Amino acid sequence: MLSRAAERVYWLGRYIERAENTARIVQQYSQLLLDLPEEVGVEWQDLVAIFGADDNVEAASAGARERTILNFLLADPLSSSSLAHSIRMARDNIRNSRDLLPQEAWENANELHQYAKAHLSSASQGRNRFEILSDCIGRCQQINGILIGTMSHASPFHFLSLGQNIERADMTSRIIDVAAAYLQQNEALVMRYGSTLWTNVLKSVSGFQMYRQYCQPEVEGMAVIDFLVNDTAFPRAIGACIERARANAGALPHGDAVRGSLDELLAFLPSTLATELAGAEVSRLMDKLQVELAGVHQVVVGTWFPPA
Amino acid sequence: MASVFGQYDGANFYDELVGKDGEPRPHARLIADFLSGLTPDEVVDRQHAVDSTIMDMGISFTIYSEGDNIDRAWPLDLIPRIMTGSEWDRVERGLVQRVMALNLFIDDLYNDRRILRDKVVPAELIDSSRNYLEACRGIRPKHGVWAHICGSDLVRDGDGTIYVLEDNLRVPSGVSYMLENRNVIKRVFPSMFRNYRIRPVSEYPSALSAMLSSIAPDSPNAKPEVVVLTPGVFNSAYFEHSYLARTMGAELVEGSDLVVGDDDSVYMRTIDGLTRVDTIYRRIDDTFIDPEAFRPDSMLGVPGIMRAWRAGNVALANAPGSGVADDKVVYSYVPEIIEYYMGEDPIIPNVPTWRCSDPKHLDHVIENIADLVVKPANESGGYGMLVGPHASRREHRKFRELLKADPRNYIAQPTLSLSTAPTLCGDRLEPRHLDLRPFILQGDRITVTAGGLTRVAMRKGSLVVNSSQGGGSKDTWVVEGDL
Repeated sequence: MLSRAAERVYWLGRYIERAENTARIVQQYSQLLLDLPEEVGVEWQDLVAIFGADDNVEAASAGARERTILNFLLADPLSSSSLAHSIRMARDNIRNSRDLLPQEAWENANELHQYAKAHLSSASQGRNRFEILSDCIGRCQQINGILIGTMSHASPFHFLSLGQNIERADMTSRIIDVAAAYLQQNEALVMRYGSTLWTNVLKSVSGFQMYRQYCQPEVEGMAVIDFLVNDTAFPRAIGACIERARANAGALPHGDAVRGSLDELLAFLPSTLATELAGAEVSRLMDKLQVELAGVHQVVVGTWFPPA
Repeated sequence: MASVFGQYDGANFYDELVGKDGEPRPHARLIADFLSGLTPDEVVDRQHAVDSTIMDMGISFTIYSEGDNIDRAWPLDLIPRIMTGSEWDRVERGLVQRVMALNLFIDDLYNDRRILRDKVVPAELIDSSRNYLEACRGIRPKHGVWAHICGSDLVRDGDGTIYVLEDNLRVPSGVSYMLENRNVIKRVFPSMFRNYRIRPVSEYPSALSAMLSSIAPDSPNAKPEVVVLTPGVFNSAYFEHSYLARTMGAELVEGSDLVVGDDDSVYMRTIDGLTRVDTIYRRIDDTFIDPEAFRPDSMLGVPGIMRAWRAGNVALANAPGSGVADDKVVYSYVPEIIEYYMGEDPIIPNVPTWRCSDPKHLDHVIENIADLVVKPANESGGYGMLVGPHASRREHRKFRELLKADPRNYIAQPTLSLSTAPTLCGDRLEPRHLDLRPFILQGDRITVTAGGLTRVAMRKGSLVVNSSQGGGSKDTWVVEGDL
């Protein structure tokens, strides 16, 4: 497999995952704002921070700010944090890898791209936002389903899956990070609305049911964080993502260095979380995780995608 | 009479599907009957089905606008162009004859130069050609073949005669659209494929792959490693490069994926290290292929690839230097070239061509310039051309002066009255002019596509079939049997 082709498929995995998670986060965030009273201080601005963009949005009214931020996160083709951008990049990477991927994946990615172009700016203005984002999530899952369901488990598949799992671990850590920010605020409010908040976090990764079935019936902050960080059975938990990425690296030629860096990352995950872990500590842990994941990415690049 | 054919008026030109009497030609009766069973709305619905299939399948071409590249859906007209198997058999024999002769010619030019010594073709014509590459002297590619993939443009004149308009021996494109047109039309007209016996075109990728393997040099690889070399995603034909790589199961590479080793062999960079490459189907122009040998500023090519080719360690298709035989003045000699190497008369005629370098020809051209098409020898893409009947007197005067000043650089041809076929325009069928590009492969043996890519000038009266200038396309059916 060509190094350049491997790089594109890896990025396809990352972008398709980023697109799906962006839609999930915005959708669940919209719900959260409806559920929580204003004094909890949940702000659209925090959503910008999840995506690592520090742009402070200046706008006259709260409504205008919501529209500006959502346009930035959903429709703006120039914003590298936008859903439209991730979909475009996923589609371009499929387009340029068509010799390696099932034809149906290209057809669906192309349709998703057309759909996003037609609908995302109205979703950022609020019209049918829930339905449009659900459609985007569904279409991303459809593309994933085609890829996972029809690709031979050979190098292209492993690069796709490697990219997907690294990106997914990163996105899950960002979702936890934002929720942790509220732990640092008014304790009484957290006590009162904590369960709503964490239920939302679980739902944003479709993890609510799996958490209840395999973890515990009560939704409670530390247990949710522990589940999303350490679980190795739930596919969107960081631990599970790293294990799978490790298996992908192991199936590729010269994958030892990448496997080693993933092992270090696994060792770095706290085996048990203190029940009274403060929000600030969770935040630091997630930041550190994101830095470590970026390090794994660099090892991937150095191993398989050296510049010509 | 068929409703949708009923109002069709194709009497002004030779029409591929309808005779002078307004009746469908025998080979078009089945489709005419079929279409007559549909209302105009149903016909338009089917065209919409074609358009949306093309969108969904992502069949596109790229055009440039203000530095940005835009994917456009490939334009395909619902109504096929139909030819009989017996007519096609003759065309096919003619194409085989022509391409074999052209390859013998190119091989001769870069080696013994017999044809120049025998003064059949003037040596100064070759030595002054921009497409003649001195770097290729003395090379003998496998099977003596240089132009492995050829796309010759055919046109039919008012009296029904088919001519070769030009030979594309460098990087001819369009074959992927021929294949996709068939896939789309099959979905829209399944019943026609049961009623007609239409020769398939789908074996092209396997034939291409077999041809490319047949020219591979001896190498340590157990089975030849064939790659498609593309300038990249911004090239207007990238869709085709990727399509062909995918359907052949070959790697699609860019220049930066390849490297020439100290052993003068070509390798590609893979996730498992360097892998030896045997045949490169290159879709990059000659002078961009190797910055070491030609243009030092080329970012698309592979430094040292000419060295590897000259050492016989890699096959290049088409071989560098093949373009010398698709120069417009050389074109005018192709009938003599066929006779010289094959000892046969050409089966498909050339369009009659006056060479202005010949004083008698020049006099004729100057006298009749208002009726002729004048083309510069070394330009392509219609650049610097005069279409006599459509030009003003002042332009005629200007070209007369140009011809007198530099006669060797010009040829002239009669203005052909290109054939038409019924084409859906709005909700009615109208005649539109078309041409045909079949694809010929030569390696250890020679094969021709059944039909080819039919291109259509979608604007009324226009002869411009280029997709970047509003041209469309049709599926091309070569049908068997007595019809």
